Amino acid sequence: MNETKDIAIEVVGLSKSYGPVRALRSVDIAIGRNEYFVLLGPSGGGKTTLLRMIGGFTKPTAGRILLHGVDVAHLPPDKRPTCMVFQSYALFPHMTVAGNVGYGLKLKGMSKAEIQVRLDAVLEMVGLNGYQARMPWELSGGQQQRVQLARALVLEPEILLLDEPLAALDEQLRKDMCIWLKHLQERVGITFIHVTHNQEEAMSVADRIALIADGELVECGDARQVYRTPARRFTASFMGESNLLDGTVAEVSGDGTVTVDVGIARVAVPSADATAGIQAAVSVRSEAMRLIPRDQAQGADEQALDAIYQEEIYLGLMTRQIMALPNGQTISVRSVSDDDEAPAFQAGDAVRVVWKTAAGRLHLS
Amino acid sequence: MAGSDWRDRYGTEGGGPRPASLGVMARVFSEDGLGKWALYAPTVFVILFFIVPTALTVVWSFFERTMFWMEPGFTLFSYVNFFTSARFENFLFSMLHSSVSVVVSFVVGFPIAVFVRRHVPTVAQHRVILLFILPFMVSEIIRTFMLRPVLGRNGLVNTFLTDLGVISEPITQILFTPTGVIIGEVLSFLPFIVFSGFLAMEAVPKYIFEVCQDLGASRWRTFWDIIVPLAAPGIFAGSVFIFVNGIGVALIPSILGGPGAVNAGLIATQAIIALDIPLAMAVSAIMMVTLFGLLAIGHRLFNLTKILEPQA
Repeated sequence: MNETKDIAIEVVGLSKSYGPVRALRSVDIAIGRNEYFVLLGPSGGGKTTLLRMIGGFTKPTAGRILLHGVDVAHLPPDKRPTCMVFQSYALFPHMTVAGNVGYGLKLKGMSKAEIQVRLDAVLEMVGLNGYQARMPWELSGGQQQRVQLARALVLEPEILLLDEPLAALDEQLRKDMCIWLKHLQERVGITFIHVTHNQEEAMSVADRIALIADGELVECGDARQVYRTPARRFTASFMGESNLLDGTVAEVSGDGTVTVDVGIARVAVPSADATAGIQAAVSVRSEAMRLIPRDQAQGADEQALDAIYQEEIYLGLMTRQIMALPNGQTISVRSVSDDDEAPAFQAGDAVRVVWKTAAGRLHLS
Repeated sequence: MAGSDWRDRYGTEGGGPRPASLGVMARVFSEDGLGKWALYAPTVFVILFFIVPTALTVVWSFFERTMFWMEPGFTLFSYVNFFTSARFENFLFSMLHSSVSVVVSFVVGFPIAVFVRRHVPTVAQHRVILLFILPFMVSEIIRTFMLRPVLGRNGLVNTFLTDLGVISEPITQILFTPTGVIIGEVLSFLPFIVFSGFLAMEAVPKYIFEVCQDLGASRWRTFWDIIVPLAAPGIFAGSVFIFVNGIGVALIPSILGGPGAVNAGLIATQAIIALDIPLAMAVSAIMMVTLFGLLAIGHRLFNLTKILEPQA
């Protein structure tokens, strides 16, 4: 199969400025057909702007948007093979569920009988059969969002755009809806582009995640890869909970590791290529670290930093222990709670934070 | 009050005498003092200034007319007088003219409200809407009177059109005709449809426009299928206001209208001038019935209490 045929959306050099504010700076992304793609990032980072430009609600300042190889930059939203699910429960408040879902078909001049058939099918798909005559205010938040999904899916778009679709839902419902959305996407087999600022939500639905911050595409990859081996320092700080140590590359050894001088110590991290003397950061996920007393030595394949124990925060499943490094920076270590073998420390105790050398990651940007 | 007096005097509460000022204030606004009655103030107000006058109007409309006043009795004379004379015809025509004013005001004013809601930044919206209050700074009599030199035979409109060569003869069918009254009413009442339309648009969430764009609804369809139904209660309230004023305000037809443009308000005024008080009361009663009828229909259709509810 031709490779371009597998790409549903290609965004080339896309930029958007609002006066002097640059909401998006020359972003390039290719999204595959039938992929569940998530745009993740902090609020105001430009991810919604990108989604709205794909949907046709915002005009780009520069760049091209190709949907299935066709440039759509000049087309209005309804002439694109996309449909949008909005953040708020954006239903027509004066129409029933059937009225809401059928409205798009009615606009296309479809006959009542045909609308009925499609309507029943799509409501079945989103699990709202029997809700045809309900009004929006009689539905829960999750149900309203499913009506929005039905309203979009009934038009049989090739690409479904979801703008923070679960943001207004409570935590438990959000988790359930994530799994439900993922399964829905697998069933309908079209491309989903989902915008969220919630990392867990992103991880649980995404085939691939693009991290967007400050109007730039920071990193793009599958969920596991972005979480476990982030290339950029920002990704490491945003995904999960990592401890970051800034410094300079001190030494590049032949065995695939690099020594970084982080001011208070030198730590080794695995790396393929780096040049001595350049700025770098080392990140280690907080759950990959553990604590030992100061007088105990770390293993041969481990790195260690001296620290002063500060406090413990019980989070239920996990417990977070907070330490201060000699330079004042805090280090957070998370471990599964109620582990009897973990040594207990008091505030002020001299400890060592250790981690497997392989768990460290080097970020040159 | 006697109950709290001894408490004050002997200070049985809190061990010592309370400061006099606090005692008085606390008593006035306490649950068993005036505070209790404050809740009934609106009820009293409504009874005194709304229900009683309304009832008197209806009662007096059945009284017998005397030379200068009226005397108690029960006669349908005033109503017969109204319905069998040219007054009734005039009343029906004024309803028609008023309806035209409502439609014209809606066509001109509602798009302004929609525009302000959609395209003016939220912080500036209220200021822009307040601009429409400016005409009210000028007395209504002067405002209405100023239309005479504008609409008259040698008025601004005619001079302008003649100079442009659009017409060769001045149009005389504007001033002192129903058209003049409608123009006057639209200019007087337009701000109200802008206000009520602006408030009505609060019931139309902003996302609606994007959803419609996405589903492929034209502007026309969006307007009729979505905006109008959602804003209907507010639009209706504004329309009723204009309609009732259109048949009730005597000032505009008396300044701009001719013999054929008489509304209910003017009929009542003329009846008072002719010292036929029961007839004036009957006309007023008929107007009130018309208004209540309209409100009842509106409430049935749109549940008018909704416009007073805060929007989510």
